[in-house]
This record gives sequence, C-alpha cells and structure tokens, in this order.
Amino acid sequence: MIKNLLCKKIYPYYNSGMKYPNKNSIFFFLIPVLTFLLIFSIIPALMAFSISFFKINFFENSEFIGLKNFVKLFSDKYFYFTLINSLIYLLITPVLTLLSLSLAMLIKEKQSGQEFYRTIYFIPVVTPIIIAGIIWRYIFNEDSGILNYTLNLFFNQKINWLSSYPENILSVMVVTIWRGFGYYLVILFAGLMTISREVEEAAILDGAGFFRRLFQIIVPQLKPTITLVLVLSSSSAIKLFTELYILIPGAPLSHKTLVYYLYHQAFEKFDISYGSTIGIVVFLLTAGFSYLNIKLIEKEK
Amino acid sequence: MRITKLIIINLILLCFILIALFPFLWLVSTSLKGSEEIFQFPPKLLPEKLTFKNFIDVWQAIPFGKYYLNSFIVTLFIVIGNLFLGSITGFVLARLNFRFKKLLLFIVIVSIVIPQEMILIPLYLILLNLKLTDNLLGLILPSLVSGFSIFMMRQAFSSIPKEIEDSAIVDGCSLFVLYWKIMLPMTKPSLIALGLLVFIATWGDFLFPLIILRSQENYTLQVGLSYMTGTFVDNFRLIAAGSVLSMLPSILLTIFLSRYFEKGIFSGIK
Repeated sequence: MIKNLLCKKIYPYYNSGMKYPNKNSIFFFLIPVLTFLLIFSIIPALMAFSISFFKINFFENSEFIGLKNFVKLFSDKYFYFTLINSLIYLLITPVLTLLSLSLAMLIKEKQSGQEFYRTIYFIPVVTPIIIAGIIWRYIFNEDSGILNYTLNLFFNQKINWLSSYPENILSVMVVTIWRGFGYYLVILFAGLMTISREVEEAAILDGAGFFRRLFQIIVPQLKPTITLVLVLSSSSAIKLFTELYILIPGAPLSHKTLVYYLYHQAFEKFDISYGSTIGIVVFLLTAGFSYLNIKLIEKEK
Repeated sequence: MRITKLIIINLILLCFILIALFPFLWLVSTSLKGSEEIFQFPPKLLPEKLTFKNFIDVWQAIPFGKYYLNSFIVTLFIVIGNLFLGSITGFVLARLNFRFKKLLLFIVIVSIVIPQEMILIPLYLILLNLKLTDNLLGLILPSLVSGFSIFMMRQAFSSIPKEIEDSAIVDGCSLFVLYWKIMLPMTKPSLIALGLLVFIATWGDFLFPLIILRSQENYTLQVGLSYMTGTFVDNFRLIAAGSVLSMLPSILLTIFLSRYFEKGIFSGIK
C-alpha cells in the first residue's frame, strides 16, 4: 500500500522524460544534515573571524577591539617562532611524497605480494598519534632509548633527540613520516595502476634508470594524484599538534608549532580571541599552500 | 641482472617492513616484560620471562575500562552517523534534482575546506552554550556527519550507471528502496573505506577530546593514555600494555579491510 503510494509520486516525473526524479520536497529531508553542517562547521568558521575582533569575557559582555589582536600578533615573537617551526615542518611534504612514490613503484614492479606490503605499511597509519608518540618517545629517550644506545655502541655518541632544538624537530618529523608514508603510498599506488605500462617498459628497454623513469615518465602522468598527496600532506604538516604534545611536552614554546600556540593561548591562557586570530592564520596557510600546490602542478602542464 | 634487481627491490621493501613494524613490536615486547626488566640497560629486544600481568594491572591502575568504553561509544556513533547520513545525503546529491541542490553542494564543499583547527575555539564556545562540554555527546554531535563523508559517497553513487536506476523506477521502486536495497549495496567498497577512515580518525582523535573533556571519567582512550604518561612515569610497561590494547581494534580492522580502502578512496577522489 505504502509502496504503491510512493511509486505514484515518482512515475509522473519518469514519464515526463526527466533525467532523474525531481523532488523539491527532498530538501526537507536534508534539513537535519544541513543543520549539522551549519552549526558545527559553517557557523563556527564565520565565528572564528568575528571572535578575533572581540575581547571575549565569559561573564560580561564582549568588547569590540577591532584589529588589536592582529597588531598584537605581528609583534609577538612567539608567533614568529611557532610560524617558522610550522613552515619547517613543511619539509616533510616532499620527503613523504618521494618516499611513498618510490615505494609504490617498487611494489608495482614486484607484482607479487602487493597487498601484503600495502597492509603492513598501513599499520603505522592506523596507529593513533598518541600511541605512536608514546612508542617513539621511548625509542628516542636520551638516556635509556634504543637509538642512543645503538649510537653509543658504534660511534660513542649521544644525540639529544627530544631536548635540543633542531634535533627535536627532526624527531617529530621522523614520527610523522613513519605514520604517513603508508597512507600516501596507497593513494599513489592506486594512481600508478591507472597509467599505462607501455611507455615505462619502452623506457626500461632504452636503459633508463629508476630515478629517470620516476621523474620523466611517472611524475608527469601522475600529476592529479601527486597534487592530492601534496595538498593532503602539506596541510597536515602545517596543522601538526598532537605529535608535539606527546613527544616534547616539556619543550619551550619556541620549539612548538602554530597550532600548539593556538592551543596554548586559547586553552591554557584562556585568551579565546587571540587564539582565534592564530586559527585564522592557520586557515590562510593551509588554503594558501593547497592553492600553491595545485597551481604549481598545473603550471608544469 | 633480473634476479639481482628483484633481490634489491625485496631488500628495500623488507627494510621498510621492519621500519613500519619495529616500533610496534617493541611496544608489544615491552608490554610483556616484567617490572624488573623494564629499565634494564642495555635494553633487550625480547622479554626474558613472558608475563601478561601488565595487561591485568592496567585495568586496575587507571579506569582503563571506562576509557575504552567511552572511545567505543563515541566511535560507534560517529561511524554509523557518517555512513548513514553521508550515504543518504550523497545519494540525494548524486541522483536527484531538487531546489537548493547547488547550495547544499556548496556548503558541503566549504565544510571540507575548513580546517578543524580553525573552528576549534568557536566549536568549544558553541558546545559550552549547549552545555555539552565534558560530555560524550559534545564529542559525538559535531562529527556525526562531515562534508567529506557526503562528498565521498556522492562520488560513489555518481559512478553507478543510470540504467540500473531506470529499471528500478520501471519496476516501481520507492526512492528509499532504490537507495537502500539497490544503490547502497553497490557502493560497498566506498562504504567500508569511509567507515575505516572515520574509525581511524575518531579512535585516534586527540586535540578535540582534550579540549572538550574535563573530568577523568569522560576521557577517551587517547586522552586517558596521554594523561597516564604524565603521571605514571615509571610504569612504562603499564602504558605499553594499555597502548597495545587500544591499538588492537585498529590493527584487526586494517588487516581485514585494507583491500577495500584503495578501491573506496579512489572512487572518492575521481
């Protein structure tokens, strides 16, 4: 009975030769989803802009302060420290992309056990960052960690993996690369499967080496996938937070990143509006780098 | 020539298997060590005496069961929410024409572009107003459906040939039956991949729960484990056991579902 009623509603549209059933009323079914997107994504994004122009008091009325936060930001030395650190972390992006692409090519060449490798490489990806941090903090431990133990054994040396400044950035990068390469590998591998093997085989016959093939044959054909990987990895590099929280919690603010500074200002010093101002910079950076990556790849075409 | 090349390839790939697995195996081995072995120097790769005591102790040392349950509840609701709401909205966007369709698609895409870090503070204020901070519901609601899920499912539904829809309409199918019985099963790889992605992201999420949750009884696993590293400095074996237990679901899901991941993610990208 109900089924018949519903069918009658579609039939007229179908008979009138419409491509898809047209139901304007469907919009009402989508109102819950739309509400969720608006309340928890679109409105907060607009609020992020407005909050940064106000001094937020939890108990009294908020006060309009105009561009004061932005002026403060540009004379704040910790803003520059953390900004520079966040930009340094962008170095992960090319390393990750190249590493994942090379490994994907090797797996493709191997032809057997492809799924096995991809599954194993995917295990670090599903490791929560906190747990990855706990493990690596133990490995990097300066007195009892296995890394310094090995270094001491062979070179009679110790490295302050977590407490000295450039070294701890490197350690965090190692963890991020360890957690990330399997993910980008799967994406790039799927892209590799779509390009034709003929050109590559001809190049192999002509004696082109691995890196020549990588840069002259694979990369030009894989541009859309590589762009995706660049966009994904650079925006996650700028937004680095949890790795620092768990790996180098005691390090001074000048060793941290922009998102950490946001967290520090908003939730440790409770300066909500200044934190929001930093959030806008984070947004502009991720948007900017995504745009830049897409443009760069397009230009090369 | 061919054989040496294969050997080199295998060696490199094997090397990366070791790199990928070593930290994890190290964690498992630590979790099986007794308390006297933990700070042995030089560190030993394998425990001398296997013990499962750490796995029992961790439940008593901290409210580990409560953390686990909290993480489970939050993840369950968010995964189901994204699969259901994401797929039904994706279906409607891919297959039907209606007023404001462009507007809805625009909102979906904008919400994908907005980084979570930027809306963190406003979201906190909104949840504060709704009295949902320090509450699991405050963690679940904002992530119940995401632009990404909708978009990925829209791409999956778009790739189904139109003939199938036509024949369903001729057979007299209702819209919901068309979605639920005919179209949805055809997007299975995307659904599983989306479920896996949402699971990984939610199970491992840290910054948002850290901000929203205040009291210990509401902590999720990640917040709980990180809190534990601050207090149980000397008890690395307990932390290791807790970490192993909290990684178990992710690892099992990966081993069984990873082949769907690639199929699904690519139907989402195209």
